[in-house]
Parts: sequence; structure tokens; C-alpha cells
Amino acid sequence: MSEAFIELRGVRKAYNEGLPNQFWAVDGVDLTLERGRVTLLTGPSGSGKTTLLTLLGCLARPTEGRVRVAGQDVSSLPERFLTEQRRHNFGFVFQQFNLIRGLSVLDNVMLPAFPLAPPHGELRSRALQLLGELGLEHRSDARVEWLSGGEAQRAAIARALINDPPVVIADEPTANLDTHLSKAFLAIVERLKDEGRTVILSSHDALVAEATIVDRIVSLRDGKVVG
Amino acid sequence: MLFHPAIMALLLADALTLILLLPAGLFALRLLRHWDLNSGSARQIRLERQTYLVATVLGFVFAVQLLSLLLLVFTADRLAVQFVGAMCAVGTFNVNPFGFPALFLKLALFFLASAWLFMNHVDNRAPDYPLTRVKYGLLLIVLPVAALAAVVQVRYFLGLRADVITSCCGSLFSGEKTVTAELAGMPPLQAMIGFYSVLGATVLGGLFALWRRRGALVFSALSALAFPVAIAAVIAFLSLYIYEHPHHHCPFCLLKAEYGYVGYLVYLPLFAASALGVALGVTLPFARAATLAPVMARITPRVVAMATGLFMLCMVLFTWFSWRSNLVLLG
Repeated sequence: MSEAFIELRGVRKAYNEGLPNQFWAVDGVDLTLERGRVTLLTGPSGSGKTTLLTLLGCLARPTEGRVRVAGQDVSSLPERFLTEQRRHNFGFVFQQFNLIRGLSVLDNVMLPAFPLAPPHGELRSRALQLLGELGLEHRSDARVEWLSGGEAQRAAIARALINDPPVVIADEPTANLDTHLSKAFLAIVERLKDEGRTVILSSHDALVAEATIVDRIVSLRDGKVVG
Repeated sequence: MLFHPAIMALLLADALTLILLLPAGLFALRLLRHWDLNSGSARQIRLERQTYLVATVLGFVFAVQLLSLLLLVFTADRLAVQFVGAMCAVGTFNVNPFGFPALFLKLALFFLASAWLFMNHVDNRAPDYPLTRVKYGLLLIVLPVAALAAVVQVRYFLGLRADVITSCCGSLFSGEKTVTAELAGMPPLQAMIGFYSVLGATVLGGLFALWRRRGALVFSALSALAFPVAIAAVIAFLSLYIYEHPHHHCPFCLLKAEYGYVGYLVYLPLFAASALGVALGVTLPFARAATLAPVMARITPRVVAMATGLFMLCMVLFTWFSWRSNLVLLG
């Protein structure tokens, strides 16, 4: 069995805490994710997939329970420590890609490396290499608003990998892609897995759930793990 | 008198301090009672997050308190012209029985606040709250001192009467059997030997700690000793050299314009060096967590270097002012 990389113990996350409309998006989750494996979080809309991803990726902190990343408790870390965790451990591919309009593809890819970036030439080479590996080098100078959906996603993946993170998190990565582009995305995930990275996906796309590269499926409903 | 801008500033600073310290004290009690890092309960998670908010507020409060010591002394010096018999801050502090206790409590608060600020700085550098319990325990010691300092200071300012004939430094540092008179009566050579021995040992201790990366605690103890020794040296010989008068021992007249405000030049490095040394000494025994090892390895040499440099500056200033004086005390 692989080494545990992310552990959740009794994790709960409330929105509007203390208010009449308080809502428990994640409600008592115990979960251990191993290194180098592809895990899929699945479940209907509102089941807590995205909230759980944000907790796993140190984008949010739990209301209750403990989250440990690489052995370190991150449940209540202040922002400066969480930033360090995110910078070193995680790369994010968001559902809407969240590329910054007005900047080129290359600048978008290089952005997460700042402010601790290596020398500019070195960083630029790495960004171009990543874009090359994803078949997007020829679009490096294009502004991101000119990209197609598939290109935008590959740019987002290159950006997620710029800090060489051991974990890549993708939220509904195929939601805006057709079948052909979804399969191309899964091929990229396979390569990330072969490189030894841990990949965590959230999706209710059957194509992803049936993919052979997925090692583990975690089913969620009403904020609880149901399978 | 209460409407003097500096007095209002001091009273407001103390009011603000108490308003913020009291809820912080209640938080500290709650934290000491319920803190359990092994628990993931909502209460523990909330405590962990709130500790940063409370610590940020306390950082502001204590920084204000560090400045308020300076403002109190400055104000006392400036108010001297309003009291019959007062020539400097000593006269102002002597107007009523709360003057000097207010000053001494502010001094105690200055060192406690410095220690707390330093401990908080160290604690915030590690991700696992290694000093959190200790620093909130320390807060419960600081809180009554701050409250007492505020009360005594209010009583002091309320008791300032311009028609009171006060006694100034001349009477405080002469004749009677008081600590200050004893210090003033100390032979200059003996005071010099004491001053250069203790501050020299402190500087050497600092250099040793920097060189061998150990002995920081000894350096801190020497820093704590250096402060009263240096103050005694100011009274026993430095003031005489600066005033060029064999019987004028007042450590407060040094703050006056006619002596070029040299007191600020001497006291600021002395207070800063002592506070750094003491704060390091208060923190070191508790900084045993593994996560603090790299933090302390980085911070300790910096603090020791700063404090050592400031003590060296003190020695240079004492020597320089003594050397260039026209007064001959020895030989």
C-alpha cells in the first residue's frame, strides 16, 4: 500500500456558521489519500465535492476535525503557512480554469511561481517546456481569451504544474469539454500519474468514473462519504 | 492638567490597553483551560484561529505600551516648568506619591511587554503553536501589572496640583538614606569598575554566544543585570561628567535640551538591548519544540547580535561622554 499523503479525521465544514441558514457542506469525513494515486470524488451536485477539494488542497479550513498534509496538521494554519503548503504541494485546475484575461498563456503559466520564482530565464524555460509537453507551445504568446476550451484547460494544467507539485487537484475538469477533449485530459492525468503525482479529481462525468487510470472512487452525498 | 495633550495621550493609551487586554485575558483563561492540540473539536479549531486575532491585537497594545514609557518620561520632563521646585522629571514625579510608582510600573510593563512581543514573534514563526500556552500564561501575569500601572498613572495625573511645592533631583540624590542617595554616593571609580565589568561581560557573553552558538541564556541573564548596573552608573558617574558638576547625579536632567537630549541617546540603546536580552531569556527555556529549532537557530543569533551591538554602543557612549568632559573625577 502507498504512503498516506493527505489525511482527514472527522472533518466538517459549515457555511454561514451560527446563522439560521447554517449549512454543513462536509459533515464528518474520514479519508486517507495515498501518494501517486488517482482519486475521484463523485456525487450529485451539492454533495460536497468541491468543498472537500478545497479542504484537501488547503484552500479552505475545516470548521471541525483535522486535515494533515504530508504529516503536518493544516487545520488551523494561518494564511502564510497555508500559502506555503499550497505553493509546494498543490497544483489546481479549476472548473472555469480561472486564467487571467489580458495576460498571455506564458504569463498565466508562470504566475503561480511568484514571488519566490527562480531566475526569469529558468522559469520561462520551464513554462515553455510544460506548454510543449501539453502541445501548447505555439500558443504561448496568445492572450488566454483567444484560446479554445481544450487549450484553456491545458494552459490551466501547465499553470498547475509550474511549481512541480506532488498533488494535482482538478475540479470538474471535463465539465466544459466534449468527449474527445475529455479523453485527451484523461491521457494527461495518466501521464501525471506515471510521473508519480497524486491526482484528485471531482466529477460526476461517467467518462471519468469509468477511466482505468482512476484508482479509487469516493462517493459523497449530503457532505458524507457513502462509498 | 488632565487636558495636557501628552497626558490625554497616555490616559487614552492605558484605557485602550485595558479595553483590549481584559477580553484578551478572558480569552487566555479559556485557552489555558481548553487548549488541546490533539483535539479537532470545533472549539479547539476556533481557539487556534482566534489566537492569531488576539495576538495581533496584543501586539498593537504592547507596542503602544513600549512607546508610552518614553512618552511618560518626556511628559514628566516637559511638565516640570509648571511645578514650583521642579527642575526636571524628578520634580514632576515627586509632586505626589504616585509619580515614581507609576514610572516603575511602566518600566516593569515595558520589559514584560517586550518579552511577550518577542515570545509571540517566535511562536508565530512555527506552524504548531509551540509557545501559545506559555504566552497566554504570561499574558495573565502582564494583565494585572498593566491594570495596576494604569490605575496608578491615573491617580498620579489626577493628583497633579500646580500649587504643590515639590522637591527636585538635588534632594533625591543627596543626604538621606535612600537607594538613590546611596547610588549617588557611590565612588565613581567603583561605579566605573562595576559598569565596565558587567557590560564588558555581557558583550563578551554575546560574542561568545554568536561564535559558539551557545550560552544565549547566560547572555540574557547578564543583559538583565546590565540594566540596573548601567542605570547606577548613570547616577554615579556619567551624569557628573555630562553636567560637569561633581554633585549633580540626576538621570532625568540628561533628557533636557540644555544637555543636548543626550539621555535619549544613552537610554534608547540601553533599554532596547536589555529588553532584547531579557525577552530572549524569558523565551529560550520554553522554546524546546522541534519546530522551533530552526526558528530559534535563525532568531537567537540575530537578537544576540543586536543586543550585543547596542550594549557596545552604550559602552562607547559612556566612555565618550566621560572622556570629553571637562570634569576631573579620577586621578
